[in-house]
Amino acid sequence: MSKLLKGVEAASAAPDHTPAIALAHLGKTYPGGVRALDDVSLTVERGTFLAVMGPSGSGKSTLMHCAAGLDAPTVGSVRIDGYEIAGLNETRRTELRRERIGFVFQSYNLVPSLSVADNITLPLRLAGRAPDQEWLRTLIERVDLADRLTHRPAELSGGQQQRAAIVRALAARPAVVFADEPTGALDLRSAHEVLNLLRDLVDELRQTVVMVTHDPAAAAQAHQALVMADGRVVDTLHTPTAADLAARLVALGEG
Amino acid sequence: MLYLAVRMARRRVAALVAVACAVLGGAVLVTGTGVLAESGLRSQLPAGRLGGVDVVVSADQTFRPGGDLPIALPERGAVPAQLADRLGELPGVTGVVGDVSFPAALVDADGRVVPGEDPSTAGHGWSSTGLLQDAPVDGRKPGDSREVAVDRDMAAAAGVQAGDRVEVVAAGRDAAEYRVSGVVDAPGAGVFFADPTAEQLAGRDSGPRAGTVDLIGLRTETGATDSVAAAVRDQLRGTDMVVATGEDRGDLAAPDAVASRSLLILLAGSLSGIVVLITGFVMAGALGVSIAGQRRELALMRAVGATPKQIRRLATAQAMVIAAVALVPGAALGYLLAGQFRQQLVERGVLPETLPLTFSPLPALATALLLALAVQVSARGAAWRTSRMPATEAVAESRTEPRNPSRIRTRAGLLLILAATTLSVVPLLARTVLGAAATSMAGVIGAIGLAMAGPALARHAGETLARRLRPGVSAPTWLAVSNVRGYALRIAGVVSTLAMAVVFVLTYTFAQTTVMTATSDDVRTGTLAQERLSAPALGGLPEGTLDAVRETSGVRAAAPVGSTTVVWPYKLLGEDEVESSSAMILTPDAWSVLDLDVRFGSLAGLSGDTIAVSSDVARSRGAGLGERIGLILGEGTRVNAEVVAVYDRGLGFGPVALSRDLATGHTTTGLDESILVRTDGTATAQRELAALAESRPGLTVEPTDTGTGGSLTEAPPEVWVNLATIVVLLGYLLLSIANKLVATTAQRRGEIATLRLNGTTPRQIRTMMRREAAMIGAAALTTGLVLAAIPLTLLGIGFLDRPWPAGPVWLLPATALTIISLAFVTIEVPTRRALRTAPAEALAGRE
Repeated sequence: MSKLLKGVEAASAAPDHTPAIALAHLGKTYPGGVRALDDVSLTVERGTFLAVMGPSGSGKSTLMHCAAGLDAPTVGSVRIDGYEIAGLNETRRTELRRERIGFVFQSYNLVPSLSVADNITLPLRLAGRAPDQEWLRTLIERVDLADRLTHRPAELSGGQQQRAAIVRALAARPAVVFADEPTGALDLRSAHEVLNLLRDLVDELRQTVVMVTHDPAAAAQAHQALVMADGRVVDTLHTPTAADLAARLVALGEG
Repeated sequence: MLYLAVRMARRRVAALVAVACAVLGGAVLVTGTGVLAESGLRSQLPAGRLGGVDVVVSADQTFRPGGDLPIALPERGAVPAQLADRLGELPGVTGVVGDVSFPAALVDADGRVVPGEDPSTAGHGWSSTGLLQDAPVDGRKPGDSREVAVDRDMAAAAGVQAGDRVEVVAAGRDAAEYRVSGVVDAPGAGVFFADPTAEQLAGRDSGPRAGTVDLIGLRTETGATDSVAAAVRDQLRGTDMVVATGEDRGDLAAPDAVASRSLLILLAGSLSGIVVLITGFVMAGALGVSIAGQRRELALMRAVGATPKQIRRLATAQAMVIAAVALVPGAALGYLLAGQFRQQLVERGVLPETLPLTFSPLPALATALLLALAVQVSARGAAWRTSRMPATEAVAESRTEPRNPSRIRTRAGLLLILAATTLSVVPLLARTVLGAAATSMAGVIGAIGLAMAGPALARHAGETLARRLRPGVSAPTWLAVSNVRGYALRIAGVVSTLAMAVVFVLTYTFAQTTVMTATSDDVRTGTLAQERLSAPALGGLPEGTLDAVRETSGVRAAAPVGSTTVVWPYKLLGEDEVESSSAMILTPDAWSVLDLDVRFGSLAGLSGDTIAVSSDVARSRGAGLGERIGLILGEGTRVNAEVVAVYDRGLGFGPVALSRDLATGHTTTGLDESILVRTDGTATAQRELAALAESRPGLTVEPTDTGTGGSLTEAPPEVWVNLATIVVLLGYLLLSIANKLVATTAQRRGEIATLRLNGTTPRQIRTMMRREAAMIGAAALTTGLVLAAIPLTLLGIGFLDRPWPAGPVWLLPATALTIISLAFVTIEVPTRRALRTAPAEALAGRE
């Protein structure tokens, strides 16, 4: 499977018009009957910075987990870079995830016992791929972590940990980077740095980024913002402002 | 994978030490058992007094049942004497010796007996010196029937030299005076008679063994050993005689030593079951704790793209690295342990000193394979759940405990407990040592079942406790109870290991002591005779002894009792089985000194080709009264004997008794081993017997009831072996429990820190942990006692007709004390250490 993917990847490296993500009629029902996603369809073009917003329990995290192959949807189709992942088993989904998707979590999820350098190359190591040293060096310099590589995550500040996590997400040159509340645990300045970094990645490298957040200021950095409620997409805003988004969310809260 | 595994390993010292200790101890035990087993199969006895000849021919001293391990026959078989002449004519043969052995001992000037190395085979003909490797003689060979040559050690012990006169007791004849013609300078060579005298004493001039010798030794030209051996094999084709050269000669030198070699196999066989069970249990437990401590990291790996298989491989790789490191010293220690064990067995007379152990790399390799397999299975099992979950769920769950104990696991555990209970019924059906072994097995299997069903039970118990809790209860107690409920998996792991220790100690020790008590009860009530007369230094009782005893005043009855080995082939559930067991040799008047509780028939019928059997054997092997049974006697002769009596006291007196007529001519010495004497009970009778023993050299008299039947210090060797096993395994178990508890508690740093951040004082945390320790200790004791109670009750009913076992009462409080203090100490120490770190720091170091 992974060999096949590698071959296909080389072919698909040429610019084409396959969307980075295509979701069709996605639904997820948890045991006990909680319906977290209800018939969501969505297309994300390459080089887009998309923010997904919504109140707690609106289904935004579930949407991301399903779109990213971290969790299996109950019904519907998920295509990443043109490849269907909804029907795959845990192992194949993981393999595809490793090849095409990068992750940034709210809680960084760096493995505490490994050094920063080891954490950054972990997904590549797991995939059995040799890291592209030059690309890594560029990334590490870009996020200013060159002198922190031998440290353990616990010895870094929150912002530094999150930047390390971003490098990890990008190390394999994924088709999409998903970020789940990437600034949720950071102070204002660090949060600002991280958001700028994500926006720059999109603008400079044509990287596709999908970010889940409930912070209107964070979402305002994105090209596009979806607003979710009760498992559905209720609104789509282009080049949103923080004020628009805040108003929209407050309205939802009252509704 | 290895790189990651090692990186991740560095920060989990406590848990990894536990794994290393488990593997180390397991390697020691498994290797040790392996060395015993291999020695039982392959160890080489020294050629001893056959060192001077190159090729040895003797009767085949092994019985080879189809598809089963060969059984060594301890009594000496015979080969035709004229074969020696024929083999002597083969090309390349330079000398031939037909050797006979018979009981012989010197009596010194003070009337004390000077035994040879083995009194029952110390006597030989002069020609047997031809077997010795290098034996200069000071003097000359015995010239006539009144002369003997003796080995240097015996001569020195008796204070005689060439030309002196000395009394000799040989082959059951009364002591007679001989002239010492020479002293042979070879250790343990024995007493040499003129060849015709030796033939006569050994009973080879007439009777059942006329015209035979024990073995034939051939000296060959240099380099011709192999060709001669091949020629001899050609000559012997179709007979049941065997040929040995080189190191194999030792096997033919002493059949009884070879027989005790197979004891090593039996021993290793009986140890292997419990050793593997305990080792597996301990290693699985240690790995479970270690991997549970890494659940979060493994889940994070899942989140960044590790496949389920990679997670399992990672967990396994780490465990294998630790195991490999611990295996090397473990295996080395195992060899040492086996050596120590052999030394103990030699000191207790279970093994002959001449029997060495075989030290080859095989047991270590087998151990490595076995442990690697166990580690793989345990590690994969422990990482299974985390590896299979969707990544997000795994990360979420890793922050707490798995939500629900797996239902399959719980059911399998309950089934095991049920199976154990069923197994513990066995002592009711079979009142034998084997039947009692089911008790200990039932206990241990029950404890493994508990380990599996434990989480569900612990949660249940915790919930019940929480419901019963009074509202005003103190905060630490409330926290402790909540922890039992919320961390059911963790608590159950700890409780079940402690319970395993309780069950193991109680069932194993009490099974041993109960069988021992029941056996000595059997022997005591079954022995009517008050005195036992024997002559160990002479190799057997002289022939006139029985008449002399019967004529002693105050003696009501006297009968000789001997023992030998028989091999009994039978069918069990359609399968061919073979069992070798010791057998009494009895005469028809044995009933007057022994009460075997005969149910059918009578011991008075024990003449001719007849046997008596215990009712257990009669039932299980279809050997009822009047049946004819095919047996193989101790030197390999097949006989067909009729069952004339079925007795109940098989535990004390063994499964089968042969009539003396049947055994005559089929034992090495041909002499009675001892005489049981029933007197009128007066002191006079006792004095008269003592006087009789005094008047004849080598005779000893002792009371049959030594009054120490049930005490552990007087335990017979097999009980001692089992008790030693219990002590060693218990040490291993306790060490691993301590490690496991320390590791488990050390992993709770984050939890403790969170509690402190929420305003719990260190004092309250210590109290909470102590309450938990108390609950854990109490739960372990209760479940352990319950699991042990059922098999032990059934054992008591089966063996002692009362619903409790026999044994030291102090074992109960001692076990309780050990378990409770172990729980307290191993929880208290890591808790104190965790409290020394500031809570915020402890939490920061975790993510």
